[in-house]
Amino acid sequence: MRLAAVQPLVVFEGIGVTRDGNALLTDVDLEVAPGDVVGVSGPNGSGKTTLLRLVATLIRPNRGSGTVLGARMGTAETFGIRERIGLIGHEPALVPELTVFENLDHIARLGGLDRTRVMPVLETVGLGGAAHRRVRAASRGMQRRVEIAHMLLRQPELLLLDEAASGLDADASGLIDALTRRVTSSGGAVVTVSHDPAHLDGCTRQLRISAGRLALR
Amino acid sequence: MTRVRIWFALAGVALAAGLWMALSAPVDALQGVWFRLFYIHVSTMWFGMLAFLVTAVASIAWLIRKKQRWDRLAAASVEAGVLFTGIGLVVGMIWGKAVWGVAWDWEDPRLASTAVMFFVYLGYLALRAAVGDPEARARRSAVLGAIAAVQVPLVYFSVNLFRTLHQTQTVRPDGMTMSPEMRPAFFVNLLAFTLLYVALVQARTFVAKREEARSQIEVAAGDAVVPPRLDEVHDV
Amino acid sequence: MKLLRQAREVARVDLVVEGRVGETLRVIVPFAVAALLVLPLAQGPNLALLRQVGAAVFWTLAVLFGMQIALRQSANDTDARRDFYALSGVDPAARFLGRTVSGTILLTVFLAVLFLATLALYDPPVAGGDLPALVLAVVLFAYGLAALATLAGEVSAGLRSRGALASLIVAPLSLPLVLGAAQTAAGIGRDAGILSWSLLLLATDIALTVVGIAVAGPLEEART
Repeated sequence: MRLAAVQPLVVFEGIGVTRDGNALLTDVDLEVAPGDVVGVSGPNGSGKTTLLRLVATLIRPNRGSGTVLGARMGTAETFGIRERIGLIGHEPALVPELTVFENLDHIARLGGLDRTRVMPVLETVGLGGAAHRRVRAASRGMQRRVEIAHMLLRQPELLLLDEAASGLDADASGLIDALTRRVTSSGGAVVTVSHDPAHLDGCTRQLRISAGRLALR
Repeated sequence: MTRVRIWFALAGVALAAGLWMALSAPVDALQGVWFRLFYIHVSTMWFGMLAFLVTAVASIAWLIRKKQRWDRLAAASVEAGVLFTGIGLVVGMIWGKAVWGVAWDWEDPRLASTAVMFFVYLGYLALRAAVGDPEARARRSAVLGAIAAVQVPLVYFSVNLFRTLHQTQTVRPDGMTMSPEMRPAFFVNLLAFTLLYVALVQARTFVAKREEARSQIEVAAGDAVVPPRLDEVHDV
Repeated sequence: MKLLRQAREVARVDLVVEGRVGETLRVIVPFAVAALLVLPLAQGPNLALLRQVGAAVFWTLAVLFGMQIALRQSANDTDARRDFYALSGVDPAARFLGRTVSGTILLTVFLAVLFLATLALYDPPVAGGDLPALVLAVVLFAYGLAALATLAGEVSAGLRSRGALASLIVAPLSLPLVLGAAQTAAGIGRDAGILSWSLLLLATDIALTVVGIAVAGPLEEART
């Protein structure tokens, strides 16, 4: 009996990104399979965030080729797969004037998701009692929990985390780990970047990025 | 809150009495029935200016004492002042259109200076809305509130400094220019708007106090955030 | 339909945020009304002149301050928010439509307040005329300006001088809107023909909508 080949979720071959004459990424080869938790560490300015935005298809490569969730990089095909990607970035992508509940409800309405799941998700992340607090008045840790709730609501296939664990308490760090397990157990994958290699314990594979070049750690 | 209700009740009774008296008072020989707008216009403009003077005093008090109640009073008084001045301007424009044939006379420095004053205090309210931190908000507002009040005497005395279409003050050190039959209606309306001003400021400071207390609770309510239910993450 | 659902949601949140922040109603609208004071104070109280220029001053302030209202949402966009919309599967065309609709509503309120203030302070001649046609002209103007500003905001997104740049794009391109709306309003006042000017207004709005929807995707791609 032959097993069906598992298609990788991300395939990069010789990818290079240049902006304003600066080479941000050079000759990057990467493959992310279902179930992978890929950790990428590197100093500030090494290209970690650029790599993550590339995987998120928010940046186009200048050289090389690749696919993300089957869509070819740098083509309109990527528009169709973006909904299946989740990104928790440096800056919170929340509407500050809305409450915690309203932010998630907004996401649910935009994506045509089941709005009755919003409150249960908030309670799972421990924000049930703070649901009606404005995000503007929330701490960074609380805002991070809202972003995690966002990912639970959307259930992305490819989860990207940019320094997601920095500044979090033990409870919230536990949430990140639980979210990671949920994504990978459903056949998805996680790519997480951090300047601190200690945050990447538990990854199935660890890579190091330096001056825009990626290598096994 | 009971005290606020009492003030509003008194103001309501006085306003009703003032309205009745304004409608019953004799009409002006030249301006006819439109003169009745005078009772509202003068009272609202008077209390508009008074409110801004109260703000100035409260602002200076805050700058010296740094007590939150002075900031609440300053802000509440500006809100009342903007409301009264706005009503006074609109009523004045209606009256002007009916009596002078124009809603606005650009040759009248009182009109122009009042309009400028109105917008300065709208700016005061916009400034307060833009600053989140209570102490920073109080400080900036206090400075603006103290400075902006220099306009009030300019507005008040502008009718004396320039010969304009606008009539001069009704109540003067040498007596009143109004006929005795109209004075009761004038004074009752003045009393009514006094009570209304006090009621509005009381209500607004009460609400402001509650808002401050609520935001203190929110800041302290870290217990609104509880440990996550990690065992539910997979299935939620 | 997904496009309309997303556009409606973008517009809804935009208006909710505006209701809480109040930048348009608390700052820009009073500022525009205060600007009405400048000309008479600078020129001197020449009532005949003010009556004559009242309509022109209205439309000038409508464009200059209307632009600020319509551009404020793009100005407040962060990269993180734009990434959020991109990864949430929000169609860029839906974002364009939603922002245009919310901008239209805010601009219509602004124009109504500015109109009343201009009427009071400049006493321009206003004949009875066809009120529904006048309201329609104002709404079409508001829609066109909102669409143009949203488009300009997208074109200049992420650039350092985007505030000034977007205004520079909107101002000259708004001329057909100003011409169409001002001549329609003047025609209504004179009881003259307004069809050609109204059609100019409508055609401009349709063109802006088609262009806005068509380029939304490529502009989003250009960010990458």
